[in-house]
Amino acid sequence: MYGRVLGVTVLGVGGHLVTVEAHVGRGLPSLTLTGLPGAAVRDATDRIRPAVEGAGLEWPLRRVVVNLAPGNLRKEGPGLDLPVAMGVLSATAQVPSTFLARYAFAGELSLKGELMPTPGVLSVAIEAARKGLEGVIVPAPNAREAAQVEGLHVVSAASLADVVGFLRGTWTPDEPPPPVGDDATAGTSVDLADVRGQQQARRALEVAAAGGHNVLLVGSPGAGKTMLARRMTTILPRLSREEALEATQLHSVAGLLAGGDGVLRARPFRAPHHSVSQVGLLGGGATYLRPGEVSLAHHGVLFLDEFTEFRRDAVEGLRQPLEDGRVVITRAIGSVEFPARFTLVAAANPCPCGFDGDPRRQCRCRPDRAEVYRQKLSGPLLDRIDLRLRVPRLTKTELMGEQTGEPSDVVRDRVQRARDVQRARWSALGVACNGHLPGPVARRQVHMEPAAEEFLGGAVESMGLTGRGFDRALKVARTVADLEDAQRVTAGHMAEALSYRDGFGGEGLSRAG
Amino acid sequence: MPAELSREPVADDADVPRGFPEGFGAGEEERAATLVLVSLLGIAPKRLHALAWAEGTASGCLAAIRSGAAGSQADGAFARAADPSSIAAAATALGARFVTPADAEYVRPLLDLLADPPIGLFVKGRPLTGMPDVVAVVGARNCSSLGNEMAMDIGSALGSAGACVVSGAARGIDAAAHRGALAAGGTSIAVLGSGIDLPYPKGSAQLLERIAAVGAVVTEYAPGVKAEPFRFPARNRLVAALSRALVVVEGAEGSGSMISVEHALDLGRDVFAVPGTVTNPLAQVPLALIREGATLIRGADDLLADLGLAARLAVAPPPGLPDDERRIYEQMVEPLLPDALARRAGISIPTAVTALVSLEMKHLVRAVGGRYERRLSAPAPPAVPR
Repeated sequence: MYGRVLGVTVLGVGGHLVTVEAHVGRGLPSLTLTGLPGAAVRDATDRIRPAVEGAGLEWPLRRVVVNLAPGNLRKEGPGLDLPVAMGVLSATAQVPSTFLARYAFAGELSLKGELMPTPGVLSVAIEAARKGLEGVIVPAPNAREAAQVEGLHVVSAASLADVVGFLRGTWTPDEPPPPVGDDATAGTSVDLADVRGQQQARRALEVAAAGGHNVLLVGSPGAGKTMLARRMTTILPRLSREEALEATQLHSVAGLLAGGDGVLRARPFRAPHHSVSQVGLLGGGATYLRPGEVSLAHHGVLFLDEFTEFRRDAVEGLRQPLEDGRVVITRAIGSVEFPARFTLVAAANPCPCGFDGDPRRQCRCRPDRAEVYRQKLSGPLLDRIDLRLRVPRLTKTELMGEQTGEPSDVVRDRVQRARDVQRARWSALGVACNGHLPGPVARRQVHMEPAAEEFLGGAVESMGLTGRGFDRALKVARTVADLEDAQRVTAGHMAEALSYRDGFGGEGLSRAG
Repeated sequence: MPAELSREPVADDADVPRGFPEGFGAGEEERAATLVLVSLLGIAPKRLHALAWAEGTASGCLAAIRSGAAGSQADGAFARAADPSSIAAAATALGARFVTPADAEYVRPLLDLLADPPIGLFVKGRPLTGMPDVVAVVGARNCSSLGNEMAMDIGSALGSAGACVVSGAARGIDAAAHRGALAAGGTSIAVLGSGIDLPYPKGSAQLLERIAAVGAVVTEYAPGVKAEPFRFPARNRLVAALSRALVVVEGAEGSGSMISVEHALDLGRDVFAVPGTVTNPLAQVPLALIREGATLIRGADDLLADLGLAARLAVAPPPGLPDDERRIYEQMVEPLLPDALARRAGISIPTAVTALVSLEMKHLVRAVGGRYERRLSAPAPPAVPR
């Protein structure tokens, strides 16, 4: 007795179609899995029988062999519980084979036969659509994410019994929810208008968002670094449908897509604690390769508060994603790639005690300690941070005098226009924004007025600007000009760009970096 | 009880009147005679001064020396052979001019040296008459880096407050004070213990060029006279005489700084001292002075306040600034955020940021913790990029 159903395994972020064959033959009652099952899949063997019996179906008291093909591909994830169960049910002729070749099954089973929320369902649905299948059968809590894939019939089932009922034609699933359109607005609770004062920091965030630049915020505790960083997502351009799907897929794979409408509407904001491990930050894991914080921040903002406190190996690992927009994780069990194109917002205290340069509290650091601390903030990673900004802790009087600033939506419109200008200009180079320009290209392609060139030359002389600092200034100045839709970079644009050159008041990073 | 430090100027030789006889050094012949007198190496200024009153004119003094009635034999021989026009030509070739007591540029404070005013001076640079408040900053040649910084800061503060720093152009504290004043765009006077063509230390030539460009280099020695240790105390009396107040930054026991202070006290000048740790050898002179009643200063701010100079700081932006930068600079009376500066100056934030970066590049302001403030001290040169 033989049955065959389709399932999907998720490796990294991509789904791979798996044919699940089941054979029920003579022998002592047992269930054997073949075809390179991963730990989570092998784990299912003891779970399937109670689930089938819990659904009021019959488990064959014979020897059952289930093969997962292709045999050279490692099978991961709990989503294969349902296909394995369905294979057995098909082999014992408890369900008709009508839909089995046209639908993919995915879902984790409980001992009672309920379908549990399962990570990676969006990847399953995308793979099913790509392989030309008619539909997918998924757990009800994951139906909305699967429904984001157009042209796919999504059957959302609460239990194994429902699935069997659907195949037998005795149960009709609910109408699947419609895909979320482009016009979906993000319901975020924060807004740039919440920030009082800090005009320069607000402006710097706008420039960073407009040019896709990474930002370093240096300031005393209580200056408002976290508050500012949190609002970065609200001024970045709205998520396009493709971007939303990519981000959702990563969150789905990580099992973080709980509830909601099944799709990310706002750009993700990830703020891992500084004790995060390299695996936690970049992705990986011993048995099942999970996306790390960098990938969960894909198309959004990765906020690293207390930047100097992060483990050195973790932070150094940020270089690849910052450069390529992806991480490749290679382990003994295989190699996977996760997208990781995010805006980095790093925050740090100006010195170990945090009060260097504060007008009201005396810094108590020994000068050599403060110097060592600043050295930590230099190095190759910092070269990839174009804007460095000092965020002063405001005094009461300074706060009192300030009116509320512009709301995020107004800023976002300007950012969007600047992004459009950049996309048009750099389309031939395959670069989306100024922040992604390689230095040599910036030196050739950023056109300056003579006065701006002179200004930049003066900065090299009098501020000790390094070659990399020079490139950064060029790129940021280009973004400042794009915010005004100016053809050429003027001296004014350049001066503003130079004001973001370091967070320590001219004598720290510009020398080190 | 510490002794009272301030002393009234007193003449130790009551017979010799103050200053020089009427008409001494005035006119062609007198100038020529004074040039020869000033070039004599064997006769001390005090003896020359007494001789001036005995003879009444420079020509008279010269005749007495030539005849052997006064001065040493060597001086007599030199005076008989000397050609004033060649001395004058040598000075002119070095860009210096000769000043006699009859000239307006022979400033009055020099005559506070009752017994031993210089009989003439070689001056290179701007006229001594136009100098603002002159403050002497002196101290150890072999100073600590903290002392160096302190002298630089004091020089710079005086410079930006519009005062003139006078010192001896020696290594250490002297040079730092000069440099500070120059960096802040102020003026400075260097008094040499040698001819204007043979400055000591040799490495100071460049500094002296810069001083001469905005201030003056002064000496009572003719061109060709080498620096000798015994000339420095005499040089120090001119430093003290030209100043209205004298600041001692660092000095070890028994050092030349003490001689400058002695002169300053004899001249009735105010004396200020920057203290240090009691076990620090370089703090011994300042500490001893403070014990005797000199005014303790913790740094440039104390000094400016005591001299009544602090108020000038807020008003004068350096000349030649563009309009936006000047307005921003004027508003920068305390560390302020760019937002606040823009509002106070009545310009937009981007314009203000442009102006601030430009001012920063000119080393006029610095950013401290996101706020901007004016710079006092001389800027450190930018590091060479790796």
